[in-house]
Amino acid sequence: MTAAAASAPARVRGLVAGFDELLGRAVSMRAFALLRVLAGPAVLLHLQPFLSDALAGRIYRDAFYEPYVAWYPELPRALYVGLLVLAAVAALAMSIGFLTRLTTATTFVIVSYNLFLSTTHFHNNRAYLVIVLALLTAAPCGRELSLDAWIRRRRGSPALDPSAPGWPLWLLRFECAAVYAASGTSKLVDPDWFGGTVTWQRVVQARDELDPLPHWAVSVLTDRGFHTVAAKLIVLTELFIAAGLWSPRTRYAAVWVAVAFHLAIEGSASVQVFSYLGIAVLVIWAVPRTRDRVLRIDPTNGRHRQLGAAVRGLDWLARFRVEAAAPGSRLEVADRDGTTIRGAPAAAFALSRLPLTAWFALPVLLLPAIRRARPQ
Amino acid sequence: MAENHVRAPRTRLRSRVRVVGRRVVVVAVVVLQLVFVARGYWSNHKPFAFQMFPESSTWRASVVRVTADGGRIPIELPWAGYRWDQLVRDRGLSYPSVRGHADSGLDNQLAFLQAALEWVARNTPRDRQTRYLEATVTAWHNSDPPRVEVLRSRPREVGE
Repeated sequence: MTAAAASAPARVRGLVAGFDELLGRAVSMRAFALLRVLAGPAVLLHLQPFLSDALAGRIYRDAFYEPYVAWYPELPRALYVGLLVLAAVAALAMSIGFLTRLTTATTFVIVSYNLFLSTTHFHNNRAYLVIVLALLTAAPCGRELSLDAWIRRRRGSPALDPSAPGWPLWLLRFECAAVYAASGTSKLVDPDWFGGTVTWQRVVQARDELDPLPHWAVSVLTDRGFHTVAAKLIVLTELFIAAGLWSPRTRYAAVWVAVAFHLAIEGSASVQVFSYLGIAVLVIWAVPRTRDRVLRIDPTNGRHRQLGAAVRGLDWLARFRVEAAAPGSRLEVADRDGTTIRGAPAAAFALSRLPLTAWFALPVLLLPAIRRARPQ
Repeated sequence: MAENHVRAPRTRLRSRVRVVGRRVVVVAVVVLQLVFVARGYWSNHKPFAFQMFPESSTWRASVVRVTADGGRIPIELPWAGYRWDQLVRDRGLSYPSVRGHADSGLDNQLAFLQAALEWVARNTPRDRQTRYLEATVTAWHNSDPPRVEVLRSRPREVGE
């Protein structure tokens, strides 16, 4: 046996051990906790048409539907409607973090059951919602930002460890990237899509809806040549998001582009909860560590205090510790790598790391004055 | 002491089961997702394939009830207390005579239309006349020339 042949099994064992270590590595579940809070409204929006039909006395089987498999269990009408109501209540409880494990699992089971009742129920946004709920169910995401945690504090019980094995997070990252990659690839390999025929025809078919736009805009949007370029941009955007999310160097750009992409889709097409969910899921790309950046403010300075309050209130991913500095000090942010930024660039940097303000603040970081303020 | 000897292997076993279980779940989900994505390229229904806005294709269909005596009655006319747009309310199938976009692609749309014909044929027990439902579909795949195809439900038992 050669040395190379002998070392091959050892290398495989090493790879498997590394893979297991990655899956089991304890990471912060803060992003999952935030996603859980945001997923509740998505579930309610998703259930709304089913519930309003049920209130009007109609359920799926009163009209055309098509089970995936004949043996799939179908419930009596009252029980089915009761389940939908239970799902809505559970989604609400999941969002506020009450009996989080139970209510998240309940929401996942009922939403999945309803999705698989009929092929007519299937839409990509609903599939994505089921994936998100499945992984929220698998992760202990109720230890922060939850009523459960608040109740524990009130009872004087010690807080539960907010970190857990990272595999649900890695898996959701894979699924998130897979959605963009699958969509982009299917368009890339379709000559009609990549060549612009599909988008051009869709715009021309919906010509009446363009009436509110100025004449020049309608003229551009219905121009065949415009779509030859635009279609390629759309495909490359999806593929950039899918790939760019994985690298720390391109992640912020990918997140920024993804938010803009979802907003553009929401403005131009009816996609149910996809835009909201797509943007919400982006929080999982935050580095799963908390309080590893420091914002130092001068408590005697009104502007510093305002920024400190904004960071305390909007830092839903728990990225900053806000500390008081000596009176007269400049505003300062110490990043996780130890570099410090001072003054206005520090404010821009802090805002670029908060979920609600990141999209607006990230482009500011590209300004030369801000770039110069950050040591390379 | 003896108890500790028993517990240690048990803890190790539980930990080992957890590690292997994690590995199996993650690999299974990744493989399954890739299979679904690949399946989307040949299946009419594309669950979890995430092919968004796949086509600009459009379609329309003239759907008729073919009765036992050979009559061909458009489904736009109510029959035996039924109305097509109440029986088929989803997936853009309520008004098939109006040319519409095939949201999830033409093959998917026509698979739904075929299934709708079958469902209506099976779920209209008061209708004692209709032998089968038939849809003459004109479909435009993106910018291709139109193609015409005929879809039929399975024949029904017709009452005396």
